Amino acid sequence: MERSLNFADMEFTNFVQITSNGMALGCIYVLVALGLYITHLTSHQVNFGQGDFLMVGAFTVLFMRKIGAPLVIAFLCMVTILAVLGFLLERMAIRPLERKRAAALGSFSWILTTAGVALILQNIIELSFGKTSQYSEPLFSKQRDQVINFFGAGLYVEEIIVIVVAILVVGIFYAFMFRSKWGKSIQAVAFNSEAAQLLGINTQLLKTLVFVIASILAGIAGVLIGPLVTINPHMGLVFTIKALIVAAIGGFSNPFGILVGGVIFGIFESASNYFDSSLGDLYPLIAALIVIAYRPSGLFGSKNVDVR
Amino acid sequence: MFVNFQMMFYSATPAKKIYLFFLFLFLILPWLPVNGFLIYLLQTFAYTAMAVIGLNLLLGLSGQMSLGQAGFYAIGAYTSALLSMKFALPIVLCILIATLAAALAGALVGVFALRSKGLYLAMTTLSVGFILNIVAQRWVSVTGGTMGLSGVPQLELSNATLSSTAYYYLAGFFLITVQIIADFINQSRLGRNLRAIKESEIFAASVGIEVGWWKSGIFAFSAALAGMGGAFFAHQSGFVGSDAFTVRLSIGLLIAAVIGGLGSQTGPLIGTLVLMGIVEVIAGMDKFGLMVYGSVLLLVLLSFPKGLVGGVQILGNYIQSLINRSDVTLKENPLNENFEHLPIKKPYLMETVFNGLELKIGGLSKSYRGVKAVEQVSLSISKGEIHGLIGPNGAGKSTIINLIAGIYKADSGSIEISHVDEKGGLFQEITDLSTVARANLGIARTFQNLQLIEEISALDNVLLGFMRDLDLSGDFKKWLNASLEAEEVEKALSIMSSLGIAHYANQLPKAMPYGHKKLLELARAIAQKPKFLLLDEPIAGINTQESSKIAEIIRMLKASGMTILLVEHNMEFVMSLCDRVSVLNFGKLIESGLPETIQKSPQVIQAYLGLRK
Repeated sequence: MERSLNFADMEFTNFVQITSNGMALGCIYVLVALGLYITHLTSHQVNFGQGDFLMVGAFTVLFMRKIGAPLVIAFLCMVTILAVLGFLLERMAIRPLERKRAAALGSFSWILTTAGVALILQNIIELSFGKTSQYSEPLFSKQRDQVINFFGAGLYVEEIIVIVVAILVVGIFYAFMFRSKWGKSIQAVAFNSEAAQLLGINTQLLKTLVFVIASILAGIAGVLIGPLVTINPHMGLVFTIKALIVAAIGGFSNPFGILVGGVIFGIFESASNYFDSSLGDLYPLIAALIVIAYRPSGLFGSKNVDVR
Repeated sequence: MFVNFQMMFYSATPAKKIYLFFLFLFLILPWLPVNGFLIYLLQTFAYTAMAVIGLNLLLGLSGQMSLGQAGFYAIGAYTSALLSMKFALPIVLCILIATLAAALAGALVGVFALRSKGLYLAMTTLSVGFILNIVAQRWVSVTGGTMGLSGVPQLELSNATLSSTAYYYLAGFFLITVQIIADFINQSRLGRNLRAIKESEIFAASVGIEVGWWKSGIFAFSAALAGMGGAFFAHQSGFVGSDAFTVRLSIGLLIAAVIGGLGSQTGPLIGTLVLMGIVEVIAGMDKFGLMVYGSVLLLVLLSFPKGLVGGVQILGNYIQSLINRSDVTLKENPLNENFEHLPIKKPYLMETVFNGLELKIGGLSKSYRGVKAVEQVSLSISKGEIHGLIGPNGAGKSTIINLIAGIYKADSGSIEISHVDEKGGLFQEITDLSTVARANLGIARTFQNLQLIEEISALDNVLLGFMRDLDLSGDFKKWLNASLEAEEVEKALSIMSSLGIAHYANQLPKAMPYGHKKLLELARAIAQKPKFLLLDEPIAGINTQESSKIAEIIRMLKASGMTILLVEHNMEFVMSLCDRVSVLNFGKLIESGLPETIQKSPQVIQAYLGLRK
């Protein structure tokens, strides 16, 4: 199993495969992290079960396709379920805390309530689908390991399509955030919630909307990652952690930083998994934590002093 | 023997009494008609409670979140198990070393705590707990992975029942010790400082608290307690497997801490009981385990945010209010009575010499992203002077205060104070010193937006100002004799009575009207015994009577030698009080001199009223 640590020995094929696998993973992380970014922007809160929402997305599509629904129907069904989940999360686990200023954890009770919802979701999926890992059908190609030739290196079709779709979704997300009226309203709420309200923006609705968007983004990521890995009811935590870290690299405030950070993180992970199959997935996590400890505002964030 | 115990009980202070009661309960429990399983549960209770107490201190006092306590618990468990297996060290020694190991790991992670808070800290600790769990799972050669380490040495005496009872005593003894230490932290200056940090780190630094040290210190301490719990867990059944240390454990401990009520002293014990109840229920229906955990989390945080202890308190208050309905109006300050017997021997303000210092600012500039907030300001404030700083909104007054207090770093220029220890004329540059260092040199301040610790009494808020060298063992002895900080309490009450707010001593700040809160903040600043006092809008938003009180206090402080820099919009107040006044406009100093001169200065009139055409 031991592979040489010498980069020179690494074949071009491996290099290409690591890059494409890493980019696919990275794009998934970016999708999940953008969900965290958009809710953090408006309310400084994020869903600590974001990874579990991804898991629900993956299982929904898996189930729908098992019973014979076409991909489009499965996808629409996933979007509906995740939108409802996001709505319920905000209305039932986050908003009620607003009225409780004297909450136990001060302004951080939402960390535990969203984590609580995540545990409940895990249990429901576990009861419905069992604890064991499952393979989901490839989305676009005929078999799981269909490859195309890229300058002599084999690339998985599925990975390439994941990257393309993810980039497309990220593009739509950016257009929404920076071009549409809704996106501008979100930015206004982020800048000053009260002022936005006075300008006639329905801030309460927007705060719910961002959680719905965040859930759907996690769901899309879940659909895309389904065929790349095995899925199980407890896969969410890893994605929550990685998405949080990717969002933190972007300082929770810079969507382009999240894009760059996420892709770098994915490639790093893919490479370190290649060189050390037992603990490889931990190195990028540790490295990112050190970066964040050194630069708490992230690589791309800006630093603000809190002065009263 | 029993008589002796009785005597001990009656001669003890209230603080000690409750511990003696628990000690008694703890000692007799195994001798009641109980079975082995109950002893086992009692052991589990003891070591789980240790970890919960640590988490409760971390969250309840310093307001820091940890979602990774399971990681430190695991470090404690593996360290102790491996030490006793490989080196055959005595179990107690193994547990102590394991506690230390967890503390070290906690200190390392505490580096993150130094630099981040809230969401970031939750994220970091969640990741660290996850990483440690994965390492435990996959580093099979050392940890045994999910198959675990079996045959971890246990406490062995002549028979099984006796061994089990002895282990219960050992864990219980550690728990009682931990509880006493936690209570001490909660009631002493340690807890107060941590609460100040929770309120606002900038505020804490401005009263001289080294925020970083305290934050990582409490983080390491709570990790140590988690490690101690884990170590006891390892030797309880002789088996340690990585499945015990998932995020589920971290969340379980959090549930216990929150259910008990954060920051409450008995809370962790009650929370641990509830958690064990939950675990027992789940054991019967493992399929729904996560759902039970999740629902309990939601239920507690949404319905009983202050935990069970808080819930019981609210209920208790409600019942009391029903019973005493007629009395409520008569007792204006029900908590106040405790202090009636404390005669104030010497008026602190009259007798204290503040030994004010001189402050020189030279060519000070500060800009925010290109906007020049303060530009080339030079100012000198002499010893024992009340210096007014005025100017229209956005003139840079608050920036200057923050530059002097060390919250902002100047872009250029210098700030110097007269060296107090040396002979006159020597100056010490403080431009590059931290906020804490400046506070320790005698610079105190009040804030434009009130900064008070809402969770502790008004008196405790004033006590926060008294800075002394840490004397933990001395404090601890006094605490056991219920005479903790007696001297400081007297001084604080004296200050409060001079300011006319002594009757609020035992109340929470939120019970005080706004003007009195301002006075309370001033009282805290005075308790810091400042040589240089920065007052940021001391009378904004308060009535005339209160503001004349404040004017009187400021004059009194000046008479005792304090140097004061006053920022205020109320011209009458400034002109009647100040020896000299400086005027800022658009970050530049436009005039400085006697109040009469300032009032006649055409430049100042222009800055305030615009150009006369």
